[in-house]
This record gives sequence, structure tokens and C-alpha cells, in this order.
Amino acid sequence: MKILRYVRDAAVFAPCYVMLDWVSYIHPLGPFNITPWNPQPALAIAWMLLGGLAHAPAVWLTIVLADAVVRNFPAGHGVTLLTALVLTGGYAAIAWALRALLRPRPDLRSLRQLTVFVGVVASGIVVVAAGFVGVLYGAGALERGAATAGWLRFWVGDAVGVLVTAPLLLVAADRERRASLRALARRGETYVQIGLVAATLWLIFAGLGGDPSHHFYLLFLPLIWIAIRSGMAGAIIAIALVQVGVVLGIHERSLQALPIIELQALVAALTLTALYLGVMVEERERATESLKQSLRLAAAGEMAGAIAHEVNQPLTALANYGRSGQMLLEAGRTAELAGVIGRMLAEAQRASDVVRRLRDLFRQGTTRLEPVGVGELLDAVRRIGASSGAAVSLSVAADGELPEVLVDRLQIELLLRNLVANAMDAVAGHAQGRGEVAVTATRDDARNIRIVVSDNGPGIGADSKSVFQPFVSGKPTGMGLGLAISRAIAEAHGGTLEARAGAHGEFHLLLPIHARG
Amino acid sequence: MADPAPAPLVVYVVDDDASIRDSLALMLGLGGYATRLFADAESFLVAFDPGWSGCVVADLRLPGMSGVELQARVRSRGGTIPFIIITAHGDVPAARAAFQAQAVDFIEKPFDDAQLRSAIDTAFALERSRIDTAELRRADVEKLSRLTAREREVLEHAVKGLHAKEIAAVLGISPRTVEVHRTHIMEKLGVRNIAELVRFAVAAER
Repeated sequence: MKILRYVRDAAVFAPCYVMLDWVSYIHPLGPFNITPWNPQPALAIAWMLLGGLAHAPAVWLTIVLADAVVRNFPAGHGVTLLTALVLTGGYAAIAWALRALLRPRPDLRSLRQLTVFVGVVASGIVVVAAGFVGVLYGAGALERGAATAGWLRFWVGDAVGVLVTAPLLLVAADRERRASLRALARRGETYVQIGLVAATLWLIFAGLGGDPSHHFYLLFLPLIWIAIRSGMAGAIIAIALVQVGVVLGIHERSLQALPIIELQALVAALTLTALYLGVMVEERERATESLKQSLRLAAAGEMAGAIAHEVNQPLTALANYGRSGQMLLEAGRTAELAGVIGRMLAEAQRASDVVRRLRDLFRQGTTRLEPVGVGELLDAVRRIGASSGAAVSLSVAADGELPEVLVDRLQIELLLRNLVANAMDAVAGHAQGRGEVAVTATRDDARNIRIVVSDNGPGIGADSKSVFQPFVSGKPTGMGLGLAISRAIAEAHGGTLEARAGAHGEFHLLLPIHARG
Repeated sequence: MADPAPAPLVVYVVDDDASIRDSLALMLGLGGYATRLFADAESFLVAFDPGWSGCVVADLRLPGMSGVELQARVRSRGGTIPFIIITAHGDVPAARAAFQAQAVDFIEKPFDDAQLRSAIDTAFALERSRIDTAELRRADVEKLSRLTAREREVLEHAVKGLHAKEIAAVLGISPRTVEVHRTHIMEKLGVRNIAELVRFAVAAER
């Protein structure tokens, strides 16, 4: 089975390799495979990188075959066998180094992986080029001057070929990346980007006239756009497009060898720019995603604390009734058990109501809006104050009869708890004399109730916006998440939460009034 | 020692959650405890009498006054009844405040009944020893009241450590008379020697 798979892989690999060699055999140096664009080594390296070094003999045979088919042994059979050996050894060494360094898998998903990839390829190809040109020189097939020029040309052509093509192959081998490519293909923007790249290539090679390398910089603009919008997958496809376009352009303009090398060096610069931008965009996206995740977790933690209280009450009652039931059984008073069991069932129902509410809450964005009296919310605040001891005085006041607000009671209680706890912390450390926290509710306008939490602590200073930033905390042990979450909750209710800059701490919460009828 | 009818020890439950009150009353009632229930601190204070004995099991978070504040109010009104604070929100500052106000225990909900009963039993033991001491002191005071005015003067000086001759000089009576008074005092108070007499007097003065 193993051998069958090997042969099957080789049967796919060899024709592809020979094809690529044939397509890219343009503007060679003499009759040898020293061209300004050489993508097929990428195929060999990717195959050995993903499949293992056991493929090396097949690679060697394929290189010999390609030299025979495309160039008909330009320096004789012996030299071809030898150069094929040099190339195979070099590509195998590069593949081995990448395999060892790109752990756990070569997916070019981090800045480090990309840098290792670029470094190993660029330096590996220098050595391979020296070996290849050295064999030809040693065999007397190249002059000394041509050998130096050939070395440079081989290096640029092969290095660009690998840098452009190998990421493409790695993308093709990566399920997740293939999925993101499919997502890109469904986006209209992608086709605008492709059109822009094509138009820019046309401008460079035909539209503007003159030396294409003079206008090459224009390509950086669409490439940067693509890398920023579509990340690594977009960047890899875009540079492959550019490479194909450049090769077609060279063909159309029938340029001389030297400007072509110059163009390919520019392609290399463009490739590195796009790949690095793509990787950085992806890393940033991942960081943002994990920040969002931890914000959600922190919110869940706060919420869980509030709900633990709600769950603990029925659990306590359940345990008490359960113990009572046991005692009734021990005493043989079984007739009274039915009543106790009925009450236990009611408590179990109460607990499960809370749990259902909890589940609803964490189902993305579900809030359970209900009309709640402002007085009830203020009662909750009083309970919070009651548990904090006597070090801080908490005054709670409502301005006359206030209409009901349409809120999720648990979430708003959590928010108020957060604000009051913050205010209490603030005055506990800093207030002169006795700390005071005041919570007042007033009717703001026809649509909103305004709840103000103020304290006689030191206030928040001029920067009243930064307090809502996640991970910005004025407390030595604070996570800095409380206010960010509080504001998110207020806004989810169609309300607002603002900090007022001033000598004392003051937070204003607006909540929408429940419109009757 | 004459043992008057033992004071009835009652568990006073203060919790705003009706199910908790009901289930506690049932469980404690089956366990042989007498209970009285209150929905909040205010209604407890309205009914409260400093002569109550037993213990208070109060929730930390109550609408209005908290369990810890209630404890402070009871103390300020001269009540010595022990407090057990229960809470579904185990937070450290509240527990510290409760203990600073001499709560017997601070229990997190949900609790098992053994935990609560052991706290209640600790509180009751405290109450009993307090009641016993009070009983003893009442008996002592009663014994002291049986002394004559002269005997009480003699006792005062004897407790200060004066000898019979010195007391006689101070009171202007004969040392022999002082000794007779002292024998009467020791008989009336039921003590056997001077050391016990001093101890009795010091304890009764407190």
C-alpha cells in the first residue's frame, strides 16, 4: 500500500514538475535551466516538506527527466545526473530544515514561521545555486564571468519561484486555508481586487510605456489592500497572480534578461511585503478574537457570581426540606412527607428557572426584557450596600413616582452592583472622613430614567473615556473589565453609561422607560 | 444551687426568602428547636426584647438593614443574644464585619444541617453559660442583701485586706466584735475562710 501511494504521488508530481519547468523555461542563460522564474523547486520542496524525505529519489529522477524533455541534456548525460543530484540534495536539505523548524506544522501562521521560511529558502537557494553553477563551471560548460552572473540569476529566479509558489502549495494542503479561500471566492470584493491587480499589471507593461520596473511600485497598492482585507490567503493568491502577470508581460514585451532579473527582484520585494502584511493582519485578528473571548469569559464570571446567589437560595431550601424529610421518616411520620416533597419540587422548579435564565443569557445576545420597577432595582442596590459593612454610608433615593423600565433585571442588577462596588472601593481608600456613596434615580425625559451613582472619592480625572477600556484599571488588583462589561450591558438595553469627569466619582446610567400599551 | 425553670432557648430566623424561612422552621422544629420567624430586620427589632435568649440566624442580605447591622442594633439596645450570619454571597469583607461584631458563625448557603446545628448548639452553650452566670450572680446578690449594715462595713474593710484590729480601729468597735461580725458574714454567705470571702465579694461586685 505504501509503495502504491508513493508511485501514485510520484505519478502526479513528475508531470506537474516537468510541465512547470517547461512553462518557466524562459530567457535561459545559455542552454541551461538558469532562468529568471523557476517555480518548480517549490513543488519539490513542498512535496518533501509535507510528505517526507523518502520522496528524494523520485525528485532526482524527475529532475533528470525534465532536463531531458525540456532541454535534451544540454551539458551531456553525466552533467545532468550530477546537477540533478545537487538540486535534489539542496531541495531535500531545505525541506528537512523547514520540517524541523516549522513546528508543529508548516502553515505560515505566525511571524516567526514566515521569517524562518523566508530565511531558509533564501539562504538554501544561494547554496544550491552555487552547487549547480559550480558543476557546470567545473564541467567546462560555463565561462568564469557567466558563472557569477548565472549564480545570481539562478538565485533570484529560484528564490522568487519558491517564495511565490511554495506558500500556494501549503495553502492548498491546509484545510482551514482552503475554507478561507472558498470564503474569499464568494466575496464580490475579491473580484474587484483581482481586476485591480490585472489593470495595474496592464498599466505597468503596456499602458504607461517605458521600463516596467519604473512603475512597478504601483503594484504595492492593490497588494497592501488585499493583504489587509484578506490576510495571508489573499496575499498568497495575489502574489501568484502578479507573478503570472509579470511572466506574461515579459513574454509580451520580449524584454532582455537583465531587466527581467531586476523585475523579479521587485517581485521578491513585493512578495515579502504582502506575506508579512498578511501574517501580521492574521496575528492581530487572532489577538482581537482571543481578547473578545476573554471579555466574554469575564462577563460570564461576573454573571455567574450574581446568579450563584439566585441558585443558592432554592438549593438551601431544598437541602433543609430534604433533611426534614429524613427526620420525618426516622420518626415514622410519613403522612407529613407529602407536603415536604411538594415543597421540595417547588424549590427544584425555582432553581431550574434560574438556570434556564442563565442559559438564555449566554445564548448569544439574549436578554430577557421585562418591565421592572425602578424601586425594585433600588432595593437591589440597598441589599448590595447592606452586605458591605458599615465603613461606607450608602444612600439610595428615587425622585418621586417613577415609571417602570424595560430591562433584564439580572443584568441591570449586575451593572448596578458593579458601579456601587466600584464607588465603595473608591471611597474606602481615598475619602476624607466617612465614605459616602449616593444612588439617585430621576426621570430624564419622556423616554429615559437616569440613575446616578456618585461618591465622595477622588473621581476619575479628565480622561472619562478610558475608564471603559478593557484592562484599564485604577485598582491594583483590578482586571479592568467591570466598566467595559457594564457599558456593554447598558448599550444592549438601548441605554447609555457615562462617566463624568470631576473632583468626585460620578456615573450616569440611562435606561429606557417601558412604554405601556 | 436552686435551679429555676430553664429559660426557653429559641432560634430567631431572619431571612427575606419565604422558602428559606419555611424550610428552616420545619427542619429546626423537627430537630427539637423552638423557632420564631421574621422576614426582615425591622420587624425583628419591633418585636425584640433584650431578655430573649437563644440565638438569631440572620441572612446577610436583607432588604433594608443587613444581618450585620441588625446585630449591631441589638447590641446597642443591650441585647447579648448570639448571632449566626448566613449568606448566599460568601464575601470576605462581610464575614470580617460579622465576626468583628462577635457573630458566633458565618455560614454560606447552601449549608448542611449539621453545620447549622453545630453553630446553633455553640450559640446555645454560650447562652446557657451566660444565663447560669447571671443566675449565680443573682443568688450572690441575694445573699449579700441578708447582711446587716454593720456587717457590710466589716466585709468592705476585710476584702481590702485589713486585719480585725485595724477594722476595729476604723469602725471604733472592739476587735472581738469585728470577729463575731466576720463569723456571721461567713455563715450567711456560705464561705469557709477569708480567701473564699474575698473571692465572693469580688465576684458579686462585678
